This record gives sequence, structure tokens and C-alpha cells, in this order.
Amino acid sequence: MEDPDAPLVARAQRGDRFAFEQLVERHQHRLLTLAARTLGSADEAADAVQEAFIRAWLGLPRFRGGSLFSTWLYRIGLNAAHDQRLKRRPEPLDETREPADPQDSFLASELSTALQGALNELDEDYRVAVVLYDVLGCSYTEIAELTQVAEGTVKSRIFRGRSRLAELLGTRTAGE
Amino acid sequence: MVAETHPHDIELFEYVENELAPGRREEIAAHIAMCSACAEQVELATAGRDALRGEGLLELPEERREEILRNLPAREPERAPGERRVFSPRLAFAALAGVLVLAAMIGILVTSNGSSGEESSAGATAADASGGGVAEATQSPQAKLFATGPAAAVAEDLRAKGFDAAVQKDRVVVHGATKQKVREALADRGPGDVEVVVKNP
Repeated sequence: MEDPDAPLVARAQRGDRFAFEQLVERHQHRLLTLAARTLGSADEAADAVQEAFIRAWLGLPRFRGGSLFSTWLYRIGLNAAHDQRLKRRPEPLDETREPADPQDSFLASELSTALQGALNELDEDYRVAVVLYDVLGCSYTEIAELTQVAEGTVKSRIFRGRSRLAELLGTRTAGE
Repeated sequence: MVAETHPHDIELFEYVENELAPGRREEIAAHIAMCSACAEQVELATAGRDALRGEGLLELPEERREEILRNLPAREPERAPGERRVFSPRLAFAALAGVLVLAAMIGILVTSNGSSGEESSAGATAADASGGGVAEATQSPQAKLFATGPAAAVAEDLRAKGFDAAVQKDRVVVHGATKQKVREALADRGPGDVEVVVKNP
């Protein structure tokens, strides 16, 4: 499959920051949505996105184009989100966190929905699969490559994730 | 009546997505019409899909985007895939000087030791020169890499990719792998401050 990002990627690999800026422009919202929906926190998601773009910039010279740039970037984003989640454990760090940026608080309010609450309760494998497929519109092939499972497993995870999500939403709605 | 065998999740998913071949789709539809358990699963999966697809993308605030671009670190100039290294006069001069020095040393040895000692002396010199260097550079039982951490995440990442990796004193130790393989496995992490020690068997 031809990668629509390939020309920009080639320029960014040679150190062209303007080309990388355009790649950031193209992928920032999808990467943020992926991180926010899988982490359940918009503040942490914005940090993960920043970290992911820095890693991508530094790692670009080693990107060989074996997958779409977006697939490679989302993999980095998921790793950054995962690392962000691990940082939650040392409590003192959380206590000394800087106050949230007002813009991020605005984002946080967007996440405070019944849907996000239900997503937070899904198994991570299911949550990642449904967000990639139903929210970001990734293909089965991309998701399989990203999550390193067979396409059949991807379909099964989306099916089970959606079903469980609907159950959780139903329970929440009924309980309200 | 409940049907004999339930279709697999994958086929139920493909039914919801309308991806089944017409004949098989009719069979699954007939099953669902008679099986309340599968009918409920299909109904839930459809409702879940509709809920998710109603969600739009979140927008990264402009300030955050600018912060990302402002804080991009400097990168060592590296060659893009397929790009050839350009000719460097300085490197070429250094290489030429090295060759001349080596030739002069061999010439001195030949003239001072005569023909009988030439072979043993030259052989010993070559062995001494290569002995320490090769042992350290290419036959070393371990090699180091640096990756973006934390160490626990790097180790977990490597284990998920089939490596024997563990965290030891804030370092990640990988057994029975090559530096090249580990570097490839960590390509999407980028360089960082977590030390990764690769130990060959």
C-alpha cells in the first residue's frame, strides 16, 4: 500500500523540521484521541502525545517504511500511553504534578462521558481494538500490525469489545 | 429451538459489518433468528458500534502543538535509507595517513629483523594489534544500547516480542540475543536514558 505520508517522511528523515511539523499537523488529533480514549485521561494523553512525537522525531532516521507511517506512529503513541500509565504508580510524582493547563481541562470535560467510563472498564486489548477501528477508522491489517495479532483476533476483539461496551452503557443508563 | 453450533465471534462480527459472502450470510441470519444468545450478541455489538462511531476526534490544543514543535530535540544528522555517505576529504586523509604509517612500520621491521625473523615478528605484531581490539569490539559477550524508558516498560516491550529480558538495577538485561535484533525491536522507542545490556549466550 502506498503511504500518503511518504514524501513528508522522507524529508523529515533528512532533518526537515517543517516536513515533520506537517506530519504532526496531520496526525495530532488522531494520536490524541487514541491516547485519551485508551488512557481515560486527557491530561495524560496530551503528555503521551508530546512524548510520542519526540520519540518519532528521534526515531525517524531508523524508520524503514515497512509499515505505514501512521501505523508506526500509533505504535509509538500506544507505547507512550502505556509508559504514561506506568508513571501513575509512584504516588509522590502524582502529588507533585503541575496544575493542569486550562486547555487540557477543557479536553478533560470532553472525556467525562458515559462512553469513556465504559471504555475505561474494558480490557485493554478490547479497548485498543474498538478505538482503533470504530473511532479512528483503522483497517484490520493496520490494527493487526499495531497489536501484533492475527486479523481474525482483531475482529473477535472488536466484536467482544463492542458487546461489552454496550452492556456497560446499558447498565449505566439503567442505573441513572 | 436453539441451533446446533453457534457461529464464531469472527463470523458474527462479519455479519454485523456485512462482510460475509451471500450464502453464508443467509445461514448466519437463519441461525440468529433461532438463537436468542447470538441474536443478543449481535444486537449488543451493533449498539456498541453505534455508540463508538458517534464519537468524533479530540482536538489537541494549539498551545500543546506549539509546545511539541518548540521542544523537538536536536537530532544527529543521519543518513536516510538508501542514501549514500558523501565523500569526506578529512576521513580519506586520515585513512591514507594510517596506511602510510602501517607501511612504514612494516618496512622498519623487515629491515631490522632480516628475512628469517620477518615472518614471526610481523605475525606477532599483527596478533597483538588485533588481539585486544577484536576481543573488545566484535567478540564481546555483551553490548549496550540506550532506549526511552522506563526500564520496566522497555523490558515488557521486549518480552512481548519474544526476548528474554529482565530489569536488573535500573538496567534492562537481555539474554541470548544480538544487539542488532534488540535495536530493531526497540526502534519505535527511540534513544533514551534506559541502559539495555544485550548478552550473547
